[in-house]
Amino acid sequence: MSIIATGISKRFGDFVALDNVSLEVPTGSLTALLGPSGSGKSTLLRVIAGLEAPDTGEIVISGEDATALPPQQRGVGFVFQHYAAFKHMTVRDNVAFGLKIRKRPKAEITDRVDRLLGLVQLQQFGHRYPAQLSGGQRQRMALARALAVEPEVLLLDEPFGALDARVRAELREWLRRLHEEVHVTTVFVTHDQDEAMEVADQIAVMNNGGIEQVGGPRELYEEPASEFVMSFVGPTTRVGETWMRPHDLEILLAPSPDAPEAMIERIVHLGFEVRVELVQADGETLWAQLTSDQCWELELAVGQIVYVRPSAERVFA
Amino acid sequence: MTSPLRRIGLRVIALGYLIVILVAPLALVFYRTFEDGIGPAWDALSTPETVNAFKLTLIITAIAVPLNTIFGIACGLAIVRRRFRGKGVVNALVDLPLALSPVVVGLSLFLLYGLDGWFGWLGDHGIQILFSLPAMVIATIFVSLPFVAREVVPTLREIGDEQEQAARTLGANSRQTFWRITLPAIRWAVIYGVVLTTARCLGEYGAVAVVSGRLQGETETATLRVEERYESFDLAGAYAISIVLALIAVLVLVAMTAIKPKEEAA
Repeated sequence: MSIIATGISKRFGDFVALDNVSLEVPTGSLTALLGPSGSGKSTLLRVIAGLEAPDTGEIVISGEDATALPPQQRGVGFVFQHYAAFKHMTVRDNVAFGLKIRKRPKAEITDRVDRLLGLVQLQQFGHRYPAQLSGGQRQRMALARALAVEPEVLLLDEPFGALDARVRAELREWLRRLHEEVHVTTVFVTHDQDEAMEVADQIAVMNNGGIEQVGGPRELYEEPASEFVMSFVGPTTRVGETWMRPHDLEILLAPSPDAPEAMIERIVHLGFEVRVELVQADGETLWAQLTSDQCWELELAVGQIVYVRPSAERVFA
Repeated sequence: MTSPLRRIGLRVIALGYLIVILVAPLALVFYRTFEDGIGPAWDALSTPETVNAFKLTLIITAIAVPLNTIFGIACGLAIVRRRFRGKGVVNALVDLPLALSPVVVGLSLFLLYGLDGWFGWLGDHGIQILFSLPAMVIATIFVSLPFVAREVVPTLREIGDEQEQAARTLGANSRQTFWRITLPAIRWAVIYGVVLTTARCLGEYGAVAVVSGRLQGETETATLRVEERYESFDLAGAYAISIVLALIAVLVLVAMTAIKPKEEAA
């Protein structure tokens, strides 16, 4: 139930969507394809699903070459950003669709649909139509529909992209728990680094049709392989010629030989976190991330002259 | 902001327009038909020529509507879902019958199937096209061709192909995807297209007039019969036939509305 993509390239006219991409998704993992729009992440997912044919390269699913197989023979479940709900069918019929196509016995279908509706907490909505559900409920229905046919791999294309922030946070948490329960190999596409960090155990960062780095959330954050990865998976600020994490900038009130002088331009209170925006003598701006406690202790004020010391760790030159 | 006065004014104009253009002529036809009671109207309708005319109209409609429905859906799918050379040409050709005067359509068929036409040789083999049912069916199919396709194309564009892709990933082949997903999703557009096609077939006059030969009791459709009655100063007969034609159209409309999908109202 692993997925191995080797040397995948795909062009749309002049646009190179994927350029010789290789990726391995281990059995049972929850992998995120993370990148900005146009980075090729959705195309890669669609190539894995068979919804898009690659120009070159091959896809192996569960040890079997799937490159030439149509989507219906790949054993994949696919969840679309805009749900792709079958609008003329009830929630039950949507979930049962794949089973009916497979001509399973009626009793088995009823039983399985009941269990799946329970899993996605839509038991009492079985007889509604998709138009009568909220966005979050529709996406849960789409997930149940994809899981109904017991896919070997589950593919989600920006599954929470069309939902508002609160529902999105809820569904992330829920997807994580679902994965622990069902343990189906899962790949999901997102442009939201928080979402990738929170949900996935492996993240592939994509940019310009290629994969920049593959690793766990912590590995990407602490040992980014490129400037792009560093800036995409967390906040960055530039000190001289180096990029670093803003929480690795220490603010000192007294001068120190390794700490250049800077003036506080703005202080932004975001609750637990405080952003301190600074300008150096040469006009370069940078910012530091403090906790509100640290900010209180230092009694920082706008216009104050302070000294910033980068801690040597986690610097990307 | 629209004041109540302005709103009412707008309604009066809209309603007044409909009454003058649509309702008044129809009401007048109704009135004239039954002016002298139901007797004369019934007499006019029950002549063998008129019965035959209705039969002919219904036969032509029953052939043309299903053929154009199948063609319209297939054509719509090709235009929206497929990429092929000459798609623009196909798209434009579908609209051609809307732009051409039916009389021109009739004449071109006349040229095609006439003695010196490309298909004139069919006559030598005893296959009668002109002045008989085949030519009338072909003419009617031609003029009523665009309606289903024109309804289906925008709906197919609007629903997109994600539902179809979802069906594919769930194991459906293209046949199953069409019957279970695509067709139900566009059915309201198809139904509406069928209503328009039916209305066009029932009412077709110009093209059929040219190719039918207008032989009374043989190749005279209901609309041709109306014209013929009118020319023969049998106004009651012309009105009565018109009324029945209008009633059939209304009946089709009501039947189609009755089976409107329920969930889309939500």
